[in-house]
Amino acid sequence: MRGATSAPRGLGWLLLPALLVLALFLGSVALLLFHAFWNKDGFSLIYFRQILDRPDYHDVFLRTVSIAAIVAVAAAVLAYPIAWLLWRLPRWRNLLLVIVLVPWLVSLVVRTYGWLVILGPKGFLNETLKWAGVIQSPLPLIFNDLGVVIGLTHVLMPFSVIATLSVLLQIDNRLEEASESLGAGGFETWRRLVLPLSLPGVFTGLGITFLTSMGAIVTPILLGGIRQKMAGTQIYQEVVYNFNMSKASAWAICLLLLSGLGLAFLRAVEAALVPKADR
Amino acid sequence: MSRGSISITGVGKEFGTATVLDGVDLSIEGGSFVTLLGPSGCGKTTLLRLIAGFLDPSRGSIAIDGARMQGVPPRRRPLGMVFQNLALFPHLDVFENVAYGMRIRGTAATEIASRVSRFLGLVGLAGFERRRIGQLSGGQKQRVALARSLALEPAILLLDEPLSALDLQLRRQLQVELKSIQRQLATTFVFVTHDQEEATMLSDTIVVMDGGHVQQIGTPGEIYRRPASPFVARFVGDINMMDGRIETVDALSVSVSVAGRAISVPRASVVGTASAGHACQLACRPESVRLGGAQADALSIEARVTALHRLGPTVKAVLDTPLGPLTALAMADTPHVAELAEGKTARLFVPSDTFTLFAST
Repeated sequence: MRGATSAPRGLGWLLLPALLVLALFLGSVALLLFHAFWNKDGFSLIYFRQILDRPDYHDVFLRTVSIAAIVAVAAAVLAYPIAWLLWRLPRWRNLLLVIVLVPWLVSLVVRTYGWLVILGPKGFLNETLKWAGVIQSPLPLIFNDLGVVIGLTHVLMPFSVIATLSVLLQIDNRLEEASESLGAGGFETWRRLVLPLSLPGVFTGLGITFLTSMGAIVTPILLGGIRQKMAGTQIYQEVVYNFNMSKASAWAICLLLLSGLGLAFLRAVEAALVPKADR
Repeated sequence: MSRGSISITGVGKEFGTATVLDGVDLSIEGGSFVTLLGPSGCGKTTLLRLIAGFLDPSRGSIAIDGARMQGVPPRRRPLGMVFQNLALFPHLDVFENVAYGMRIRGTAATEIASRVSRFLGLVGLAGFERRRIGQLSGGQKQRVALARSLALEPAILLLDEPLSALDLQLRRQLQVELKSIQRQLATTFVFVTHDQEEATMLSDTIVVMDGGHVQQIGTPGEIYRRPASPFVARFVGDINMMDGRIETVDALSVSVSVAGRAISVPRASVVGTASAGHACQLACRPESVRLGGAQADALSIEARVTALHRLGPTVKAVLDTPLGPLTALAMADTPHVAELAEGKTARLFVPSDTFTLFAST
């Protein structure tokens, strides 16, 4: 124990990179707070008022939270069977895991453009449906909230798969045998044993995908409607086009608080649903 | 035939190219306490898992109460199982763990409540219903696992080294309780262990296994007094083993020479077929090696005491004899034993009928 805590002498300088990163991070946060709360007259909440007084911005917040929540749930629901399959097929696990993760090797922008090709008005899906005579005019699958949900769910689902799988892999297979010896079939064992034990992983995935969706920028810009902004795109616009650092900072703080609220809600649901498993 | 009988015929099991069980024949009477005893890797756990249905035999058949179990999944077999690591459900409390099987069967809530409290009472855990599994001690977890599998009142309970993780004192206590619970319920218990003392203390019948084969089936007394092979003799209790050669064989006795000394052993003590000129092993339990007190019809030799160990009321003496080293076990307060000291010589006697002679095959 002693050996683990006492660092060799003379190597303190190795801390420098970490200190540098920390300094940059704290510096940025300080700058953010400064921009958000200070104008030329000193402390002020003017930038927050500029945001909170505009009803159209309320819609942006509402849309951001709704889309993030829908994406988180959709990713969790779609990821669960995949994670379950990976867990059940140990022989194929590594190969399947690579297939799940391969999209991450492609840049986010390229991946998102891929959806344009598939979901666009003249995209693969609409052209196919038209050719088959199912539809007359193209379905609005893109440049709206649906497009954003599809794009974000695709990008974030692997997080949910990994979070769920990591918890499934911790389940001792003797537990399943015990369940079986007590008369449970496969589905009963899943419902009464595997599902409750894997819920913590599902909730971890929900948290990751929700938070990441809350701050999404690229996907909403490329796949969203022009007027249907999310908080991330709003901040991007304030910084890049309006050079309004103060308003952007205030936006960022609002987004942070909202994300915190969302996460707190998620934790409350988890606490209600999942009794603390004793391990 | 009483409920919970198991009949195992010609069962073999291979994993890939490795043969884990071979030609196992075993008939277990309903309501008895049977122990599968053997060193690790002897196939005892595999046999238990075959009975449970978690594995399928490569050859042979298993029947429970006359019904063949081929293709019957574990959940449809009339048995419960207590796992080595207990496998309690960590997300459920004690009550729900015990109620698990009944919930699956859709038993009525009032019936569940009364059965849970009956079986928790049986294992001495009344009042622990709402405890979480993580709050229990090792012994308490053990009791919950037992109650959980007994609550469905299976005809057979399979136990896979359930006590191996407990300290000795708690282990002894739970052995006593386990045996008394088995007697009360008259459920067939099939218990796997590598601990011969545990097997001796618990069982009506011990099945000694080694290398995927059944070596001997018998009561603890039979196994101890008349081991069927040198392996069983060594595995169950302490024993002195001497290499020798069979000199003469007649109607009543066999004469063996060990280290140039002739020893006569009654025919009844011979395991296998004795024929003159063949090598053999002569065995005797340490308590058969008597220190002092002349005896008729006994081997009598002079020995030097090389070590003395006091074990509670008994003394274990390691002796240097013309036959090689021998171990003797005697009550400490008998006159001849009290005089013993390391380095001293003593005369010892081994009654002829306490020898076991393993004729080489």
